Amino acid sequence: MKKKSKQIKNVNQSSFYFEDYLETNKKNRISKKSNIFQDRIYLLFFLFFSLIFIFSISIINISINTTEIFNQVNGSSKFTLQRRDIVDRNGILISRNVKSYDVAIKPSLIKDKKNFLIKIRLNFPNLLFDNIEKKLNRDKYFYLKRRINQIEKEKLWALGEKGIIFEPIQKRMYTHGNLFSHIIGQVDYDNYGIAGIEKYFDRDLKNKKLLKKPLKLTLDSNIQHIVNKELNESLKIFNATGGAALLTNVDNGDILSLVSLPNFDINKRASIKDKKFINKITKGVYELGSIFKTFTIALALENKLVSPNTIINNIPRKLKCSIHEISDIKEFPKSLSVEDILIRSSNIGTLLIARKIGEVKYKKFIEDTGLLKSPDLTLEEVGNPINFEWNKCKLETVSFGHGITTTPLQATFTYAALVNGGKLIKPNLIQKNNTVNYKKIISAETSQSVSSILRKVVTEKDGTASLANIDGYNVGGKTGTSQNYKNKNENLNTFISVFPTEKPKYALLVMLENPQVARNLTYNYRGMKIKGTRNESGWNSVYVAGKIIKKIGPILAIKNEEFTNQYVAEKFN
Amino acid sequence: MFKSKISLPLIIFFFLLLIISIIKNQTRSFEKKIYQLNKKISLKEKDLNESQFDFFYLSSPVIIEKKINNLGKNNYSPIRHSKIFLNFSSFTNIQNKITILKRDNEKKIKTN
Repeated sequence: MKKKSKQIKNVNQSSFYFEDYLETNKKNRISKKSNIFQDRIYLLFFLFFSLIFIFSISIINISINTTEIFNQVNGSSKFTLQRRDIVDRNGILISRNVKSYDVAIKPSLIKDKKNFLIKIRLNFPNLLFDNIEKKLNRDKYFYLKRRINQIEKEKLWALGEKGIIFEPIQKRMYTHGNLFSHIIGQVDYDNYGIAGIEKYFDRDLKNKKLLKKPLKLTLDSNIQHIVNKELNESLKIFNATGGAALLTNVDNGDILSLVSLPNFDINKRASIKDKKFINKITKGVYELGSIFKTFTIALALENKLVSPNTIINNIPRKLKCSIHEISDIKEFPKSLSVEDILIRSSNIGTLLIARKIGEVKYKKFIEDTGLLKSPDLTLEEVGNPINFEWNKCKLETVSFGHGITTTPLQATFTYAALVNGGKLIKPNLIQKNNTVNYKKIISAETSQSVSSILRKVVTEKDGTASLANIDGYNVGGKTGTSQNYKNKNENLNTFISVFPTEKPKYALLVMLENPQVARNLTYNYRGMKIKGTRNESGWNSVYVAGKIIKKIGPILAIKNEEFTNQYVAEKFN
Repeated sequence: MFKSKISLPLIIFFFLLLIISIIKNQTRSFEKKIYQLNKKISLKEKDLNESQFDFFYLSSPVIIEKKINNLGKNNYSPIRHSKIFLNFSSFTNIQNKITILKRDNEKKIKTN
């Protein structure tokens, strides 16, 4: 307003000369008009600028969010993994998410429901039609079939019904079917892990930052296949109800193979409640029998109570301990050296050594090895060994593996510790570059003595594991024949082997549930061909372990000097 | 007075607006291309994923063992290495040599 009045003043005082009233008014009117016109222009300019500004902002906004809009519209065409791959130690794929479809029905879009039902019945005779009919009549959206394959999709597509909706989903598929069923586990329809590694590493497998990096296991597909095949064959040969095997590296705790039979195809989703399908290695809790004798001998050697050659005199044939009457399977000489006690697997000899050790030291050893605790493993399915009280005669029975339960996994890892210089290592299923943490349970010297005694169990005439004496691999080990603590009529035959014994690298456990005498089998026993007549571990589990070692030995690249010297010819050109 | 004050900013403004619209159109077309390429890449990735999956399935020890067993039932007859021709020219060369030798032999027989 001030500006305006100033301008008017200026107009009026532009001249010294007289200006008539009309002239002045005219000038005033013109100036007023021009002011109004200028204001309007400013206003228009402001409005126009505001519009352009809003328009520009909206353009910027659209350009920033364009990719999101595209993705929302065509989200189905883009394939981004929801879960990481799982591969074995050699990078061989074990599980991966692939694109699949769920088929849903929108009843309101189906004109002729009867005709539709007939078509479905013809193409998919295995579906439950009463249910489909009910759902169809309810007029609510429902799923006809989940995770269909390409052939099924094409069949449904060919029906040409509008009401059939294909919902794109990601399906977890396993390249090896039932080979890793007990380790890998499964995922549910929404890609959440519900068992095994899929469950334990669920969060890790869904980590978006790591989606392109597969989860690498310590398992080896080829070895797993061989072990699985040999074990399956042995179930047929010995008519056993179940079996299990575990191969581990004794230096770093890497599990190379873990087989538990019977197994199941993880690509076919089914609720498995039968206990025979449990992971026998990690969840199964068993009384492993004579396997424990090695622990007793190792403990006695460690405490310098005996040496491998110390003679134990006056070993009775039978011994009464509390209500138990303890005896040996067969008659042994009255005097046996400590290593002979293990080689021949004498219950009473071991018991006498355990008495020398005493309950306190034995108890401490059991605690140190963690045999009575749940195994520390990256799997959900782990067992709880049955707790017991150290009452009368417990030391004596535990010394030869009776009245004490543990998982085969823990027993194998304790064996690994006994032969690797005394280092108790945690079992490992995931490949890591970290240094291995361990707990020392015995000295390297004792460990060496144990290894050499275990080798003698296989090589000596009186040893119980002759069938595992595979040329070139220097196998050592200990057998265990026990009864199933839940069903005394069932045998549990176990053999834990370590090889090569001069510097043990691998430990292999083979366990057979309730094996029978293989009368049709001809054993090659110390150069003789003999028919099967016996049912102890030495005649089944050891036989299977020998077959496995023979096949996996070359894959494990153990320097087989005997074999090299005998069979490999030199290349001259 | 008025014209110079208003028109210059207006011209600049419209000029910039034009440039913005051109840039916007360009970016839009680039975005479309990028989107198309991303779509193609994702489809290829999906195909690659599935092909890899098929490869690992088909080369799994169980399948390979089955294949070996199937192949093992077939009867194979041995063939001499000298009878295997890796290309057509090597075959014709050898055939030429054979015919020359035969012709020479026939000539020798005739002269004798």
